[in-house]
Amino acid sequence: MTATISHTRLRVLFAFFTVASLLLSARLAYWQTVGRGDLLSRATDQVHSDLAVAAQRGIIRDRTGAILATTVELRSLYAIPAQMKDSEGHDTRFAVAAALAPILGERPEVLRAAFDSGAEWLFVRRRLPEETAARIAALGLSGVGFEMEPKRLYPNGAVGAQVLGFVSDDGLGQYGVEGSYDDALAGTPGRLAVSRDPANRELALGLRAAVPAKNGDDLWLTVDLAVQNAAERELAAVVEREKAAGGAIVVLDPKDGAVLAMASSPTYDPARVGSANTEALRNRAISWTYEPGSTLKAVTIAAALDEGVVTPSTSYQDVGYAVIGGRTLCNAQCKVYGPTTVTQVLTRSQNAGAVFVASKLGAADLNAYLHAFGFGARTGVDLAAETAGIVRPLAEWYPVDLGTISFGQGLSVTPLQLASAYAAIANGGILYRPYVVASRRDADGEHRTAPVAVRRVISEETAATMVTMLTTTVDNGIANAAALKGYSVAGKTGTAQIPSDDGRYVDDAYISSFAGFVPAIDPRMVIVVVLEKPQSKLLGTVPAMNTFKAIATDALRYARIQPDRP
Amino acid sequence: MTFAQAVRAPQARRMPHRPNRQAIAHRRPASRQATRLRAASWEIRSFLLASGVIVACFLLVLLYLAQATAVSAAGYEAQRLLAQRDELRRQNALLVIESARLDSPARVETEAQRLGLVRAATIRVVASEAVAAAR
Repeated sequence: MTATISHTRLRVLFAFFTVASLLLSARLAYWQTVGRGDLLSRATDQVHSDLAVAAQRGIIRDRTGAILATTVELRSLYAIPAQMKDSEGHDTRFAVAAALAPILGERPEVLRAAFDSGAEWLFVRRRLPEETAARIAALGLSGVGFEMEPKRLYPNGAVGAQVLGFVSDDGLGQYGVEGSYDDALAGTPGRLAVSRDPANRELALGLRAAVPAKNGDDLWLTVDLAVQNAAERELAAVVEREKAAGGAIVVLDPKDGAVLAMASSPTYDPARVGSANTEALRNRAISWTYEPGSTLKAVTIAAALDEGVVTPSTSYQDVGYAVIGGRTLCNAQCKVYGPTTVTQVLTRSQNAGAVFVASKLGAADLNAYLHAFGFGARTGVDLAAETAGIVRPLAEWYPVDLGTISFGQGLSVTPLQLASAYAAIANGGILYRPYVVASRRDADGEHRTAPVAVRRVISEETAATMVTMLTTTVDNGIANAAALKGYSVAGKTGTAQIPSDDGRYVDDAYISSFAGFVPAIDPRMVIVVVLEKPQSKLLGTVPAMNTFKAIATDALRYARIQPDRP
Repeated sequence: MTFAQAVRAPQARRMPHRPNRQAIAHRRPASRQATRLRAASWEIRSFLLASGVIVACFLLVLLYLAQATAVSAAGYEAQRLLAQRDELRRQNALLVIESARLDSPARVETEAQRLGLVRAATIRVVASEAVAAAR
């Protein structure tokens, strides 16, 4: 017998399905129209990723192309403690810590404490050396992984540290070339928007929009790694020998102001910036000022010669001292020389003679020449944190200042300023702006830095006369220890007292320096060596001259510069 | 009792009995038979056309899927190769740095000292002009 369902029940059932269908259709219509955007964005979030593509920081090279600083991606080790489990689900934090500890040179308890800190994700060690990362990867530990992070590397270690500067953890250039050329070196980040599958792989058929990153420019410096290395080696040696508080060396090409080397002590290793003291970060060649002492006599005499108020053979009667502005200024150890020419003032480094020359010149002209030689103003070198030094305005000069400044006391200069001034004498009288970056290379090619001749300071004749006088100073005068076999050398020593906070001078402590150029005829390099508080005290110029000689010998040999003397 | 049994089917409409062909043959004229044959042929052609279209569509979809799969696979391969290229570049950069480190004058000097080498005290320089004049 066939049972039947009543029409009413059928209608109810039909109505139920109809209503259900309508509701579902309405819901579907809602998601397809009103809620479409929300659904779409949720789906997009799941499959699309929009990432910033980091630009590669530019490489810094020396003038020969040797790499001084470059960036490479290194692996950083991270941990996800919740995922530290074996195949059976047992916690392996202790085992992971024990396995990592000897490789990382860390105690297991420290690592375990980090894993137990409650962090869901943490860096265990950032930017690992490649060998270390490879050893850890070979362990195949669960709950740890690697993420690439850029690391600035300096393959020459501490050589050129102050010139180069460093890059902070967040990628910002600090100090030196890294600081002053940060914008050019850093480049511009790009953007990459892609669709990804659940395994985080890019989908070939999905969205792909990319704005390529613009890598940073490469910089080629004027610095020569071999000369820089010689300068730093000799500075470190003399500072250690003399137990000096510090020092600085500048090597310039006098023909255009290119910086060949720039050393500063104390120094630091760019790979361990965190442990360096702040004094070590300072580039003393440009940011340390000191009273130049007798090295400034060359400037005083050059100014007087240029103004025609004296000649090399102009003489005076030296009595061991000079009285100016009611003050008596003595020669070193108040030695009396009797009849003295201007050339002898330089070769013997007589303070009273410098006062005589300055008196002939006058305060206004001396002040003007000091400024013309670049003292009291930044040289404009393309490095961060340069200081100007102090040359007081003429209106603030006391009468005695004409005398003291004539032999380098009562004003302050940087080693680079002094090197620039000597470069002007060496090259025939033109002051060049020192520079460190020789060229910048980007996708468009090479952009060379044009040397900047700031001004003519003295005439060619005056410069030539000064070269002769300074050569005599080395050959037969006070700077004889700087003489080099086979090469003519021109230069001048300087010993200066150190001002103290109370306005007087520190007892029995000096700044010793030597400024010179070689070969004297057609000079190839100006070298300024400055030592702070050497233990040789008044004889501190001797180690300064020895340092000059050692650097010059290396640099001349390296540059294959032919001897100009038998 | 099944649902099919419960729901009574409507009265089946029986198609009127189709006369057999022999009967038609002697009752209908020849032109009507030809028309019928043409109609049957049209039905077959329609069927074949529809089938062809369906098969073609199927093949097109299959082709598209094959292409899409191939492109996806190529995309994954390209991505793998890009990653490989990046890693090789990184390794190359590390080697360049290592080379620069080994070339460093400071390291060379240290190594020379370790080997007991000393700096040459004097270097004889032969003036190039004199050599050129002698030739």
